[in-house]
Amino acid sequence: MTSNLVRVMDGNIFVLSEDNGDIEATPSNPSGFFDFDTRFLSLWRLTLDGDRLHPLSLAERDHVTLRFFLVPGAPTHYVDAKSSVIRERSITGGVFEERLTVLNHDRVPVDFTVRLDVANDFAPIRAIDQERTPPGRFYQRIEERRLRLGYRRERFQRETVVSSSEPARIDERGLTYAVRVAPKQGWTTTLRVRSLVPRPDGRDVREQLDRRPRRSAAERHQDLAAWVDRAPQLCCDWDALTNTYRRSMVDLASLRYSPLTLPDEAMPAAGLPWVATITGRDAILTSFEALPVAPELATATLRMLGIDQGSVLDDFRDEEPGKILREFRYSELAAFEERPDSPYFGSADTTPLYVILLDECEKWTGDADLVREYEHEARAALHWIDEYGDLLGDGYIRYLRRNEQAGLENQGWKDSPEAICHADGRLAAPPVALCELQGYAYDAKLRGARMAREFWGDPVYAEQLEREAAALRERFDRDFWIADRGYYALALDGDGRQVDALASNMGHLLWSGIVPPERAGEVAQHLLGPRLFSGWGVRTLAEGQARYNPLGYHVGAVWPFDNALIAWGLRRYGLVGEAGRIAEALVDASRYFQGRLPEAFAGYPRELTRYPVRYPTANSPQAMATGAVFLLLRALLGLEPSGEHLLMSPSVPPRFGRVELLDVPGRWGRIDVIGIGLARPRA
Amino acid sequence: MSDPIEAYFAQLARRPPERLHRRTTGTIRFELDGPDGVDIWHLTIADGRVTVCRERRDADTVFRTDRGFFVRMTRGEAKPLPAWLRNDITAEGRFHFVILLERLFPAPAGGRHPRAVAGGRGERG
Repeated sequence: MTSNLVRVMDGNIFVLSEDNGDIEATPSNPSGFFDFDTRFLSLWRLTLDGDRLHPLSLAERDHVTLRFFLVPGAPTHYVDAKSSVIRERSITGGVFEERLTVLNHDRVPVDFTVRLDVANDFAPIRAIDQERTPPGRFYQRIEERRLRLGYRRERFQRETVVSSSEPARIDERGLTYAVRVAPKQGWTTTLRVRSLVPRPDGRDVREQLDRRPRRSAAERHQDLAAWVDRAPQLCCDWDALTNTYRRSMVDLASLRYSPLTLPDEAMPAAGLPWVATITGRDAILTSFEALPVAPELATATLRMLGIDQGSVLDDFRDEEPGKILREFRYSELAAFEERPDSPYFGSADTTPLYVILLDECEKWTGDADLVREYEHEARAALHWIDEYGDLLGDGYIRYLRRNEQAGLENQGWKDSPEAICHADGRLAAPPVALCELQGYAYDAKLRGARMAREFWGDPVYAEQLEREAAALRERFDRDFWIADRGYYALALDGDGRQVDALASNMGHLLWSGIVPPERAGEVAQHLLGPRLFSGWGVRTLAEGQARYNPLGYHVGAVWPFDNALIAWGLRRYGLVGEAGRIAEALVDASRYFQGRLPEAFAGYPRELTRYPVRYPTANSPQAMATGAVFLLLRALLGLEPSGEHLLMSPSVPPRFGRVELLDVPGRWGRIDVIGIGLARPRA
Repeated sequence: MSDPIEAYFAQLARRPPERLHRRTTGTIRFELDGPDGVDIWHLTIADGRVTVCRERRDADTVFRTDRGFFVRMTRGEAKPLPAWLRNDITAEGRFHFVILLERLFPAPAGGRHPRAVAGGRGERG
């Protein structure tokens, strides 16, 4: 599955393949060359004299380039190949480029037949895990040193053009080279695969728009070096933290994506392969996590999502005025409105989160102009909370899809259909008021009040928002707190009844600050108690709940981003030991994933498996998980911008030893933060 | 004024959509293919106002489609973004204004307030 595939990528352009470089896509194997939410190669299979190739080693460093060292035939105990093959690939200038070298290790000249089988299904990424019969027409054209594969449906068209630097015999199913290689010599050809989105006049739609040319692999190498150089430097006695920090920094760099709307800025794409696109929640939360290391992502995210803010009532897209989008897709499904993704607005959390990010971004960067420029959007978002989010008029954000065919039933971050349930397993009856949505609304109102007072010159509005926030806090405590269990209900159902499952969601309430201080201890005890805490992190749903499953995406698995927000929330309430335990568990887990925290991993108890078990179909890299380590660091070091200063109060578990985060950027310029994990005194 | 396209632009100039941001500034040109050739409509957007003229001036974004499809957009029957993805309209220049088109044309008919769908249970307290 995905996690075993290897990748090169540049934002929303990427290649996923087997570890020998081949692409053989099936519904259960989401490999391919992808761009613009569409697959542009579904078969890319190399043989040498009819033999498949086997990887000896693989050099994968930075997502920009990838090198495979291969020998023909199946692996045996003793490989004594007379020939070998090197495949070097990159995304360069938006093109998938592969350099093939055949090496003859023999003492005599050898004739080789090099064959590359090529095909494509032009599947929308959304549909690559399904059997689908596309309504359009496929075509293949053989041109001078080129093979052109195409798909046309009315005026909609996609083309893949494969070209070769060396002469090849080209047929509709691939390229064949018949070459003689001298003893101890090599032969090389360079293949370029271009993804085209033609207009009826043959020109690529994207080339008609103002944007910079896609960067070459060499430029991207330089850019990556500059990015790492610009970011704060982390030094830590515990290698695991340093490794996951570096890995995350590189992964975050490769997830940067410049949308057509904002050609000169970069926001984080949400993850590979399923969500390499503009999203609301993932982009906002990743940008929030990354504020201490890469605040420019927040600025781009706020601009992009502001431009795309909802402005009408549109049932198909679940759109309302002021709402922030869930995701945007360029695929065939979006074009023909088989899916509402152009854009889709079915998220109930993105709108308050937008306000939260705008305020937090200003606190870090001091960019008051941004807060003034996006006043209209922020006010529209705050208006949405009460006018459109509050479905029953009882003062709580709820959700209910109006697009009953393709809309989402659950519109919080746990958006799978069975994620929101009672302890006994019954699903919550709609329209559901998730607990964390109320926390976000509370936080958004208070932050809106700050912006209204300090930047918009509207103290009356500020007071109104503060009154509303105070009333919400009181109401929330009355309606969501389950007194005899000592935790918050996961949600209220459509009849206002508490949905009583014990879940990680209430950890977000600590981040939002809606929890009265006297309840924080009890909440923390549950989050770090044996039912929710696996030893590697906080599970999405507690053991003992009827729907708990250690492999359940939103009902048992551990999500690093969720844990990072929880750790930060605990820290806000002064629960530094608890925050440290979560940070330590997550960083410890990262060692089993080569420093790359996955989207989610299984919720098995630590004692049972001894290592964190990979979740089968998760995105990798996934932006929110990539950002988790930055927010965990913020929690460990207690970083909080205040006026022109960055306040810090490190509290680091002994395992970490010394933690230094140097050159943290912000309105203060650059500042160093140093924390030391002190060993507890011996008893 | 019986021509729906002329009526649409006249209305746009007279009463620009409230959804248009005051800070939106720019120029767009529509080239509409019809049986009698190409109609040019040039829009200047500034301070929440739209000025319309028929001259072929430079524009930040140039849109091209046929008259029939354009009329469907003026009625809220077709959405600009999916239309661009299908090549029913083409765009040159700044993509930003493709997004903006959504604010220049009417909303699709039949959009419901979420509270109406939720059944309007309870009143705001």
